[in-house]
Amino acid sequence: MGCEKFEFLISGLLDRELDTSQEQMLRGHLRVCDKCRRKHEELLRLKEVTDSVRFKDLSGEVWAGYWKSIYRRVERGLGWILLSAGAIILISFGLYESLSQFLADPEVSLLVKIGVSALGFGFIILLVSVIRERIFAYRRDRYREVQR
Amino acid sequence: MSEVSSRTDEELALQAKGGEMRAFEVLVEKYKRHAYFIAYGFVGNREAALDLSQEAFVRAYKAIHRYKPDFRFFTWFYKILSNLCLTHLEKRRVRRKYEVSLEEVPFELATSKLDPATIYEQKELKKKLWEGLSNLPPDFKEIIILRHFRGFSYKEISEILQIPIGSVMSRLYYARMKLKEELKDLI
Repeated sequence: MGCEKFEFLISGLLDRELDTSQEQMLRGHLRVCDKCRRKHEELLRLKEVTDSVRFKDLSGEVWAGYWKSIYRRVERGLGWILLSAGAIILISFGLYESLSQFLADPEVSLLVKIGVSALGFGFIILLVSVIRERIFAYRRDRYREVQR
Repeated sequence: MSEVSSRTDEELALQAKGGEMRAFEVLVEKYKRHAYFIAYGFVGNREAALDLSQEAFVRAYKAIHRYKPDFRFFTWFYKILSNLCLTHLEKRRVRRKYEVSLEEVPFELATSKLDPATIYEQKELKKKLWEGLSNLPPDFKEIIILRHFRGFSYKEISEILQIPIGSVMSRLYYARMKLKEELKDLI
């Protein structure tokens, strides 16, 4: 077995994750290999450094309100979905009704009706195009699901 | 709540999938500290870590219908959390060589029984360690956080990252060597 295999085992030894035979094998190697022994000492020192610190904790108050904050976000998300769906349905219905009455009105000239219809269809085509482009960009967003 | 909390994570996740919010609350209570500290390790900012960890739970809840009990709940959740943190870093373009002030360092000493001279040395050490950790590639950084700062066993890390235990050991070795290089003035 080359030094490379023993080097990986050094991590396991530091974390007490080796089985008895692996530990005996590594300790035997460390007795005869200066290079690996030096690495073991350096990584032991690194472990002492990382063990001497910890991440700053949050206050008890923040931890106590942690779930409530998540619950509020979930609730708010549901609220937005319902609000948006309701608004889309009502606005669409309103537009349809207004347009139907407008087109059926005999007092409005044909030219105005054609103009308004073209304006409406143009707006719908542009809207669909922008939405399609956004969906396409979202699907191709390299940071949407960062792969490692 | 006690009846709910005696269930396994996977049972709880399935209950949450069935619409039981209390089951999801138990999962949040169980993993909120891991989620927050892992996010803190990734982004190094208290407010962002709190926001990202909570957002990860919100996304997990919204996507719970896609959860399959073949995976441990935390393995599934960790993927959401780590993707969110990495996306946050990419968007902010903070994955670069950088220095921080002592106040910005997210570490505190694990013991308070130190003399003033040692405390000063430790402050410098915390700063260097955070800079070193920040400069590691994401896969090295995450394995150091999981092992050194959250104390997960090799088996748990293997499940979370979905890699063999041998790869956990070798990746940890390379990550530590890289971190040691970053801290060459100290070690």
